[in-house]
Amino acid sequence: MEKKSAFGQMSRRQFGKLAGATAAGSMLPAYALRALAAETADQIIPGKSAEMIIHNAKLGVMETPLTLLRQYAHTPKEILFCRFHYPHEGNAGWYASLNAPKREDWTLEIDGLVARPRIVKLADIEKMDMVKRVSVIQCAGNGRSFYAAKQKVGGGQWKNGGMGNVVWEGVPLRHFLDEQKVLPAASVKWLTAEGWDQPATPEGSDFSKSYHIEDGALDNAILAVKMNGEPIPAAHGGPLRLIIPGYYGNMNVKILTKLMFMDQQSPSVFQSMGYRFPLRPVEPGQFKANDYTLENSRPTYAHQIKSVIFSPLPEDKPGSGGVEITGVAFNDGTAPITSVQVSADGGQSWQAATIKPAESPWAWYHWSVRASLKPGQNTLMSLATDALGRSQPVDGLTRWNPRGYEWNGADRVLINV
Amino acid sequence: MTRVGFVLFIAAVAAVLSLPARAADRIELPEGPNRDLVYAKCRTCHDLQYVKESAGITADNWQALIEDMGQYGLRIPDDERKKIVQYLVTYLGPNPPKAAAPSGAPSPAVDGEAMYERQCSACHQAHGGGLPGAFPPLAGNHDLYRDRMFPVYVLLNGLEGAIMVKGASYNGVMPPFDHLSNAEVAAVIGYVRAAWNNAELRPSDFVDVDEKAVAQARSKPMHPAQVHAYRAAHPAAR
Repeated sequence: MEKKSAFGQMSRRQFGKLAGATAAGSMLPAYALRALAAETADQIIPGKSAEMIIHNAKLGVMETPLTLLRQYAHTPKEILFCRFHYPHEGNAGWYASLNAPKREDWTLEIDGLVARPRIVKLADIEKMDMVKRVSVIQCAGNGRSFYAAKQKVGGGQWKNGGMGNVVWEGVPLRHFLDEQKVLPAASVKWLTAEGWDQPATPEGSDFSKSYHIEDGALDNAILAVKMNGEPIPAAHGGPLRLIIPGYYGNMNVKILTKLMFMDQQSPSVFQSMGYRFPLRPVEPGQFKANDYTLENSRPTYAHQIKSVIFSPLPEDKPGSGGVEITGVAFNDGTAPITSVQVSADGGQSWQAATIKPAESPWAWYHWSVRASLKPGQNTLMSLATDALGRSQPVDGLTRWNPRGYEWNGADRVLINV
Repeated sequence: MTRVGFVLFIAAVAAVLSLPARAADRIELPEGPNRDLVYAKCRTCHDLQYVKESAGITADNWQALIEDMGQYGLRIPDDERKKIVQYLVTYLGPNPPKAAAPSGAPSPAVDGEAMYERQCSACHQAHGGGLPGAFPPLAGNHDLYRDRMFPVYVLLNGLEGAIMVKGASYNGVMPPFDHLSNAEVAAVIGYVRAAWNNAELRPSDFVDVDEKAVAQARSKPMHPAQVHAYRAAHPAAR
């Protein structure tokens, strides 16, 4: 324990032992205790599970271990992944919370190329008719770490836990916008959404997202005020969040303050450079992180079809013989998931899993299948297909991209028996 | 340890554990030339876990990533950008060398002005002007003379909590700069206390901090919120 660097590699369990030792009188410098004590998510966003995997404490970026995620039909706020782009400190400290923000004065501004700009009170939105959307919300970077098998991509090294299955409630977006009678100009091609959050420095690009005004996904979008039956926690975008079911997390703008009708998409770097996917397959070294243009790439809009194995995980330490392999599958909600093929031998043989009906087109489907594990290493794989014939690539590395988005390769879990 | 000492120690441990944590500010990167620039320039917007998690990416990718950061607000001279890239490519690239042991050689005389430019100007800006709403100015900032040790505590431990500076409120989080040596901390504080007409704020009987004073402060770590409380307990002389 004499070296400061040793503390960083200690698990929380080891810390518990250490804290016990400290109580017995060993001299541990206060800074070491502080550094250790701070590693859990509940101290970054009070109420978050201490088991969360932290990717950036200053920004409150964290993902859910699958051992927790699989326990719930609807992912509770205590374990739902979280991603913000700016420090939630100081004046922005209020949204590092799982409580619903008390912002009775919150308004939504509707502006841009419109004849009649409006400012609508949240209190008035809350009185409008609400609809429910059960939808997977997933970080576009979910699974980024798996691209490292081809070439490692910079940024948070997400595994599969940057996703959750969540019940949202709110006001249908299209109907709401029609009712406001803002009279958009004929030249309008884009709807841009902006949130309250601001960059750490005035030179930083603000976060905003633009959607084609005719995008069919907006037909299902809502101005959400509730998550899992209660007002949306600040950390998850309350008091008001744009939810576009079936779209990657970054498209679901948090702490929403502004909607703009525009003839061009937002110049925000988060629209023009970040969160984009190349239109054609690219190789490491040939297409770099700053080679994205509006012409050669698209924003990370709709979820790629995906399946994730929930059980067994290596942590379950299953024995040899019969085992139930379970998991979830989802896509962008435009067609039902029709098949999940599962392999217990690294893809040599496949069998069809039984799929339970999903709660909504955008929710995840649960699937399960019986298989057998042999002594030694077993490679479990899952591969979903939908009614449009869209399927996951068996080798997700074929979709390698320099910013590491939209991982949807066949899931692989290695189990040693 | 005496029984009373033991009780006090446990009480101190409990006090530290009950405070909101700032472990993110303590993420360490491998020792190497210009590591201090990464500490100084990157933590304005995010903690260093992103840097650490990205370890192993190619030189090209580090280059692109740092260029990209310009769009997210990184404003640094070209030579500093090159040094940062060089450090990252070398020590956090695909084939990093074994960590260099700290040389242990006595550090050369420290230039406080150069230290300010290198370590402080990313947030507090050239000439100590600060950025309204984000980073308080150091020029004309009475906190510099609030107490002999206060700026030392801020540098070594960081500062967290709302403050008023020159009539404007700030509520950011300053990370600790404890990667600086005692001599560097003393030199940069000496520079800032004299620069930009700050010497005019100086009380007549004021004693500058030296390496020894910094070393003493370093041996008693504080939580950034405790530094904030210390500030409140030491009203600025006007």
